[in-house]
Amino acid sequence: MDSIRFNFPAPAIDDSVDSLRMDVRSFLQEEIRNGSFRPGTDCWCAGIDPEFSRKLGERGWIGVTWPKQYGGRELSALHRYVITEELLVAGAPVHAHWIADRQSGPLILATGSEEMKQTILPRIAAGECFVALGLSEPESGSDLASVRTRAHRVEGGWEITGTKLWSSGAQSCQYMTVLARTGERNEKKRHEGLTQFLVPLDSPGVTVRGIRDMSGVEHFNESHFEKVFVADDAVLGSVGEGWKQITSELALERSGPERFLSTFVALEKSIQQGAASMEGHQARVVGSILARIRALRAMSLGVAALLGQGQSPDVEAALVKDLGTRLEQDIIERLREFWPIQLKQNFGDELQYLLSDSLLRQPSFTLRGGTNEVLKGIVARGMGLR
Amino acid sequence: MEQTDQLILDTAYRLFSDHCGAEVVNQAEIGEPPGKLHDAVMAAGLPLAWVPEKAGGVGGSLALGFNLIRQAASFAVPVPLVDTMVANLVLAESGLEVADTWAALVFDGGQLPVVDNGTVTGVVNNAPGVVSGSLLVVPVSDQGLVRVATFAFDNLAIEESESLAGEARARVTMEGASPVQLSPVVDGMTEDGLRQFCALVRASQIAGAFEKITGLTVGYVKERQQFGRPLGKFQAIQHKVADIAGECALANAAVEQAIRMLSEHHEPFSGDNVAFLPVATAKVVTSEGAATVSRLAHQSHGAMGFSFEYPLQQYSRRIWSWREEYGSEFYWSERIGMSVANDICHGRAEAGQVWDIVSR
Ligand SMILES: Cc1cc2nc3c(=O)[nH]c(=O)nc-3n(C[C@H](O)[C@H](O)[C@H](O)COP(=O)(O)OP(=O)(O)OC[C@H]3O[C@@H](n4cnc5c(N)ncnc54)[C@H](O)[C@@H]3O)c2cc1C
Repeated sequence: MDSIRFNFPAPAIDDSVDSLRMDVRSFLQEEIRNGSFRPGTDCWCAGIDPEFSRKLGERGWIGVTWPKQYGGRELSALHRYVITEELLVAGAPVHAHWIADRQSGPLILATGSEEMKQTILPRIAAGECFVALGLSEPESGSDLASVRTRAHRVEGGWEITGTKLWSSGAQSCQYMTVLARTGERNEKKRHEGLTQFLVPLDSPGVTVRGIRDMSGVEHFNESHFEKVFVADDAVLGSVGEGWKQITSELALERSGPERFLSTFVALEKSIQQGAASMEGHQARVVGSILARIRALRAMSLGVAALLGQGQSPDVEAALVKDLGTRLEQDIIERLREFWPIQLKQNFGDELQYLLSDSLLRQPSFTLRGGTNEVLKGIVARGMGLR
Repeated sequence: MEQTDQLILDTAYRLFSDHCGAEVVNQAEIGEPPGKLHDAVMAAGLPLAWVPEKAGGVGGSLALGFNLIRQAASFAVPVPLVDTMVANLVLAESGLEVADTWAALVFDGGQLPVVDNGTVTGVVNNAPGVVSGSLLVVPVSDQGLVRVATFAFDNLAIEESESLAGEARARVTMEGASPVQLSPVVDGMTEDGLRQFCALVRASQIAGAFEKITGLTVGYVKERQQFGRPLGKFQAIQHKVADIAGECALANAAVEQAIRMLSEHHEPFSGDNVAFLPVATAKVVTSEGAATVSRLAHQSHGAMGFSFEYPLQQYSRRIWSWREEYGSEFYWSERIGMSVANDICHGRAEAGQVWDIVSR
């Protein structure tokens, strides 16, 4: 039980965090007024708009925690947190840069070559360069260590062959981080012999094919790699460190506000519409949802504060994601009582659009980034049960 | 938290560990009163945790008191320590002398009795912590403003009862009763402020009990073997434990946020808008979680958890009664919903956004 904390430190929210929040908020309101984007649900996964990502880059709102020499601003994790929160609740189309800002950028910073850092990070921060995650495969989902994509040593580098599945946004990305087997598979040491590569998606031998999802958009992809050559310095960190890398970034990936705010735009609009006639039972439903969101936010900020102290709250982060993603789904189910969801996205008003799209997208919330069953397994291990 | 705060918490932890084992808690309900615990709690001055030093107390911070309450709840402390802490704080805030015995705040979240011409009239249906001999501390309404009256136990009509967990509860009736002490109007204390404060006390208790239930369940499923393996090796059980841990962490995060907020507030009993949302959130989340946590913990324990001897039931019965008191999740959710709707309708949110209210 020592490894799980039920006490969360207070996040240090100072004036600079608050004023950044206000800057982002007024920028987004202005953009919505100008019709620059239509607020959408699950925008960090469904809303791809490279032009919009570039606008954020221009304002210095991507890669804010990175060193200045690589295009960052050396701000705190909390600064990044408020930027992401405001983008999510506004339903802004942020998927193009989301993964690079959250995950691939920090990974390159920690493990990439100096050249990679100098050439790629500033472009990510400018909102011009996007990175997809190449983890899952046709035969490897939850059991990620079973990946079959192989990288062979060849002169001057590596040759990669295999298929990656479900990679979000890959069609608009310049790079993909590819998890591949570089050592023989050993059933006793399943997590060894795995390496991550940063692969340019315009390399010869790469094909990326969009896959339509049940909500009607082509946002995830199947990417095939046929004897794709990458130079030695495409290796992230050292050969064989792949598993350690993907598990060490997980706390960051799992505890952020996108794990409980994906459907907030729909909730926001519902309450705004219902406010004038709000009473009794409806107020109870709405109040109960809002209370749970506030509590999750307190917990998520607490995990951010623990990360800021240099700790690795993996179990707590897994709990945020498990609770938060179920809440995102639950919100839509509970709003149905007052706003039935019957028609496809574009056959009603803005609220109907948000509700329908939320319903059609919500099955993915508890799958992507590690299913809730896998998360519960991590919690159980943290509590000493396995 | 300050250093002295931590010292007091450590002292209390040792004291509860020594004198408040599971057997003591069970016996307190059906047999022998916990004499040693009573003496140790009094000798350590814990009931005065929140009373300023100049009023003869320990001078602990607001955060200390709430953490002490969480800790006491995780031991199911079967003496009215928490009730007395709260009553003494109300006495100190209103400038009255604090108690040297157990004391009880005669307030259940409902309407305050009325003071008129120096006498008090009204009924409090479910006053917690009222035990024989305790000093009764009654917040009363003087034309809508709050004053505080005290009475001796023997001078009021008291109908004693017990909560689901056997904790002292009482219906207290006052008909033109003359108080021993009567404060002037207390600055910064309102009926709703009292309700909010007490709701956060219950939320803290539930959060403390959740921690204990989590610990008991993890311990039990590691020990108990079936089909040749510890229960904890079965995935169905692991997922139940993970769900308990999630509710527990969520409840504690909400409670801590509310405690932090109230600590920064210079009038913890004012019940103003700043305090309302965090406190209401904490009470909703803890009270809602009580069903999930107790259900999964009992299921994981099998019949053992249903026995009186095994301690789990002391905690599940407590959280079932605490979740109803000072406003259930239904009461506080409705207030949150109405308050957000009102703010939106009356332009009290930036750009008319719910998010602006939620993220405050
Ligand atoms: C919208 C979306 C975007 C995605 N984006 C990406 C991306 O960018 N890059 C990427 O690499 N992947 C991505 N994924 C894939 C995602 O990571 C996988 O869906 C996920 O890891 C689960 O794998 P799977 O779908 O193969 O399901 P499976 O692993 O086949 O699981 C199916 C079901 O069985 C359960 N299950 C599996 N193993 C166990 C077990 N041991 N115990 C109990 N239950 C078990 C699972 O929890 C699940 O409920 C995305 C997925 C979605 C839906």
